[in-house]
Amino acid sequence: MANDKTPMQLIARGVLSENPIFRLALSMCPAVGISTTVMNGIMLGIAVLFVQVFSSVTISIFKNLIHPRIRIPTYTLTIATWVTVIDLVLAAYLPEAYAKMGIFVKLIVAFAIITMRLEMFACKEGVKDSFWDGLGMGIGFMVGMMVIGMVRELLGSGAILGYDVLGFKPLLFFILPSAGFFVVGLMMAFFNWIELYYKRSKGVK
Amino acid sequence: MKNIITIVIRLTVSCLLAATVMGICFIFTSGAKKHNEHVQEQRVMYELLGFKAGAEIPSSMALHEVYRYVVTAGGKQTIAYVVPQGGGKEGSLFVSINLDGTMAAQKELPLSEAQALDAKARLAAVTAAAEPGATIIFADQTIVVTKDGKRIAYILGGKFQGFKTFVNVMLAVDPAFTILGLDVLEHEEDPGLGAEIDQDYFKNQFKGKPFEALKNIDVLKAPIPDDYLKALNGKVGEEDVQKLREQYKDKAVYALTGATISTRAVADGVKGIVTKFAYRINVLDKILKEQQLTVSF
Repeated sequence: MANDKTPMQLIARGVLSENPIFRLALSMCPAVGISTTVMNGIMLGIAVLFVQVFSSVTISIFKNLIHPRIRIPTYTLTIATWVTVIDLVLAAYLPEAYAKMGIFVKLIVAFAIITMRLEMFACKEGVKDSFWDGLGMGIGFMVGMMVIGMVRELLGSGAILGYDVLGFKPLLFFILPSAGFFVVGLMMAFFNWIELYYKRSKGVK
Repeated sequence: MKNIITIVIRLTVSCLLAATVMGICFIFTSGAKKHNEHVQEQRVMYELLGFKAGAEIPSSMALHEVYRYVVTAGGKQTIAYVVPQGGGKEGSLFVSINLDGTMAAQKELPLSEAQALDAKARLAAVTAAAEPGATIIFADQTIVVTKDGKRIAYILGGKFQGFKTFVNVMLAVDPAFTILGLDVLEHEEDPGLGAEIDQDYFKNQFKGKPFEALKNIDVLKAPIPDDYLKALNGKVGEEDVQKLREQYKDKAVYALTGATISTRAVADGVKGIVTKFAYRINVLDKILKEQQLTVSF
């Protein structure tokens, strides 16, 4: 199955029509646990972006050497290797970024979205397309995390990016992990509603 | 059968490949990582003593490391300290104390302060000084800060159980065991909840707490009053900060919203570290005085 999409279309697909969080509903547990502030969302998003791109490219390069029976262990191994490498490099050369991102990077090994993209895309397509697909999915994940983080930070701590906007804390509930599911659910409904509205206005049933 | 063999071989090869990549990466980065950790510890240490990054450190100030070992020999345990020798002598003292606080043994070690920094050389010297066949376990190290030969502070490190995993902290206390500063070096609490323990407004609550108040420290589940919160965040002048610190110094620590367990863990952990240290240093001081041993602090 050859891929017939251009790089831009691959990125747009990751961000919009197949957004990992709002449309594919993958990697929910870690996403919901972490996205309490916009900054956390961005940090986790960047980390996922790198791991996704590197893993996609690696699997795409070695796709003909991977035995189909053991592809899942191989994917996990690839992801774990890249997570470790990024963790070590960050700790060694960017200690300030690591102080903020360190706790997030280690979580990524368990992310379903990365394994899923390797299985669905990278193990069938060429290296270049895998790179763009990984980039698109990574950006889509980051955007999703930022939006959820924004809602939760504003409603939970009354701030955006750490700056006090409201001056009070409306609902502490939104910082707790369970509230993440409510926010994601509401956002999904909102995105679906926009899609419906858009299609209706175009006259498509 | 053939399939199984191919699978085993390929999986082994991929594991070896992954291990090689990670191993090479580790070799290249471990030096820089250790260096970063060391730099961070030094920075935190000076910040706790009130020297912000870039501030000049007076030459009359000196840091002396005290190492504590647990020595077990013949079913008997003693606590051994390695302290730098005073009175112009280069070298360290090995002071061994029984569990009831009486002197067990003391010896001079041919180990200068700089040499004592190396864990291996220190352990070798302690092994030579202790009874033959004793099991020696390194317990912890404390830094005694002196200015013109007088003690001005102790720097203590410690680990305790947080809400999830260990919380690693560094503390500075003055000779009367009043807390001068607290910093959290490492923790894995929940972001947005327990992770707030590394925020200034939480850490600064411990600043200036006297030993007596710390012994019975409690956690208060209430929002921090506005003026106090501003002072903790350093948003008011130094005088007001001092005044509010004075006002709240004997009160309980305000719990973080939604993270009472983390707050209690830190309060109890800090209390444990300081009270244990106060007991130990008093015992050590008594022994040093009784035996008329001169040390550099």
